[in-house]
Amino acid sequence: MAKKILIVEDEEILIDLLQRKLTNEGYEILVARDGDEGLKIMQEINPDLVLLDIVMPKMGGFEVMEEMAKDSELKKIPIIVISNSGQPVEIDRAQELGAKDWLIKAEFDPQEVLDKVAKQIGK
Amino acid sequence: MTQEKSPRELELQRLQEDLEFLEGYIKEFSEFLPLPICTANPLNIILGINQSFRDFTGYNEIEIGGREINELFLEKKEAMALVKEISQKDARVVKEMTLLTKDKKKIPVSVCGLSRRDEDGNFIGYFLALSDISESKRFQEELEDRVKEKTKELEKRTKDLQTSRTALMNILEDVDEARRRAEEEKNKTLSVITNFTDGLLIFDEKNNLSSINPQAEVFFEVKAQNLIGKQVSELITFPAFKSLIELVGLKIQEIFRKEMRLKENLILEVTTLPIIRKKEKIGKLAILHDVTREKMVERMKTEFVSLAAHQLRTPLSAIKWTLRMLLDGDLGEITDEQKDFIEKTYSSNERMISLINDLLNVTRIEEGRYLYKTVLADIETIIELAINFYKEEIEKRKLKVEFKKPKERLPQIMVDIEKIKLAFQNIFDNAVRYNRAGGRVTVSLNYDKKRIEVMVKDTGVGIPKEQQERVFSKFFRAANVMRMETEGTGLGLFIAKNVIEAHGGKIWFESEENKGSTFYFTLPVQ
Repeated sequence: MAKKILIVEDEEILIDLLQRKLTNEGYEILVARDGDEGLKIMQEINPDLVLLDIVMPKMGGFEVMEEMAKDSELKKIPIIVISNSGQPVEIDRAQELGAKDWLIKAEFDPQEVLDKVAKQIGK
Repeated sequence: MTQEKSPRELELQRLQEDLEFLEGYIKEFSEFLPLPICTANPLNIILGINQSFRDFTGYNEIEIGGREINELFLEKKEAMALVKEISQKDARVVKEMTLLTKDKKKIPVSVCGLSRRDEDGNFIGYFLALSDISESKRFQEELEDRVKEKTKELEKRTKDLQTSRTALMNILEDVDEARRRAEEEKNKTLSVITNFTDGLLIFDEKNNLSSINPQAEVFFEVKAQNLIGKQVSELITFPAFKSLIELVGLKIQEIFRKEMRLKENLILEVTTLPIIRKKEKIGKLAILHDVTREKMVERMKTEFVSLAAHQLRTPLSAIKWTLRMLLDGDLGEITDEQKDFIEKTYSSNERMISLINDLLNVTRIEEGRYLYKTVLADIETIIELAINFYKEEIEKRKLKVEFKKPKERLPQIMVDIEKIKLAFQNIFDNAVRYNRAGGRVTVSLNYDKKRIEVMVKDTGVGIPKEQQERVFSKFFRAANVMRMETEGTGLGLFIAKNVIEAHGGKIWFESEENKGSTFYFTLPVQ
């Protein structure tokens, strides 16, 4: 059975690109356009991994991680943050909240995202 | 036969005996008296003198007896007037005159005369008593002389005083003039201080507040009259002064443009200077310059750049990922020509991303939150990784790169690894990019216990001499490299300098145009 990845991201083009790249690799992709929606989907369909943006409407990435950390089930889901920013203070906070990895969008290629995902949950 | 004397004869004899006794008594008495006395008849002929008279005048009875009284005195007429007065009066008459002695001495005397009268009141002569007043006379004269002298002295002194007074008046006028001028100067200075847009506090040599201008009153929300004369240590009890005194200390040390947030919307730049008169420190001046607006503008600028950079990153990331997927064939087959164009676009996009990264680094430097996490690290490894990053570029340009490491192992030092890597890369990048084809880059490490020195030497275009002092300025690009390559933000060395200095190190260079540049930086070993 295909591994389920939830992409929580508000930038349409990035969603398209990630979805395409990951689908090609055989993952099942779920998409949420903000943190609020992301949490709802997580509770319904317990995904294998979350690709999480930080700056989003309604609920941001940090709040999503805080909510996940409170939930005994959700906190088991590995998170890879994909953010525009990469300030050490933000990366440290994400790690404290249980994020497995942090990707700065402008510095990574989609292939590298794929590698990070594979590293967490396998192909 | 005894001749019997009659009672009358006996009485006479007894009276004669009495008289003789009395005469003898008077004679003895007058001889004994210490006062010179003579007697004279109404014709002013001297009749008798006593012993004192002889001693005093030097005359004996034979020499003076029968001579006229006025021969005794220098003032003849006055002597005559005196005896005339004596003859007319029953009381004593006293007059000061000058006695002529036998040996021609002149002695001032007080002459006292008293008339003698018979039973019927007829004038029958007089007594004259002399008393020596030369002592008192001399004393009086001396007194007079002294009075005269004193008077003269006084007169002289008065004159001197008058002269002094005139001089003093002149001086006073000069002083007055000088004071008026000083006053004017002071007023000018005061009005400058009063109307100064910066706050000013003046302290005397004992660190008492001696002056505070209205602007400073506004800044601190205080009234001058409550504060003048107060010690710095007393001022600290006023909440408004707390942050100022924390900044300058109780002894008001000299500081230059230190920032101080006094209130939420008031940031002051504080400078303190000694007030020096004739090489002597006579106090201290604190200048408070309001930089709230500048700070606000600066913050807005930083925020704007930060925001713009972040916003730019999203579409740039989207472009990057799309191009990459196109190149990787994820979105279908592409021709070689298409691939070539996409590759060029991809590398342009990469430059844009690195420019944005540089801008973000600069805004973080300016926000003062630059160094994040320092850890013990191996500088050698950091440099090796950074050089490796340029492998392709080095091969493309056919450069010879040499990394000279010292034989001994270098100690690990506390650094923000990412930032040091960035600083080294910015320096190394220039050595590669602005070298000649087939040129050489030498990187060497030196260590002297206190610090590690990194050297990056190239055989490139060098920096024009006249532009060398601007090398570390923001957005600086040398004229010769702008002709070589249009890309480049002019931020690399600015960032490098800030990174090195934030680590407590130093950065400098030597360069000659068309021969090459050598950059050095040091990092302290803890």
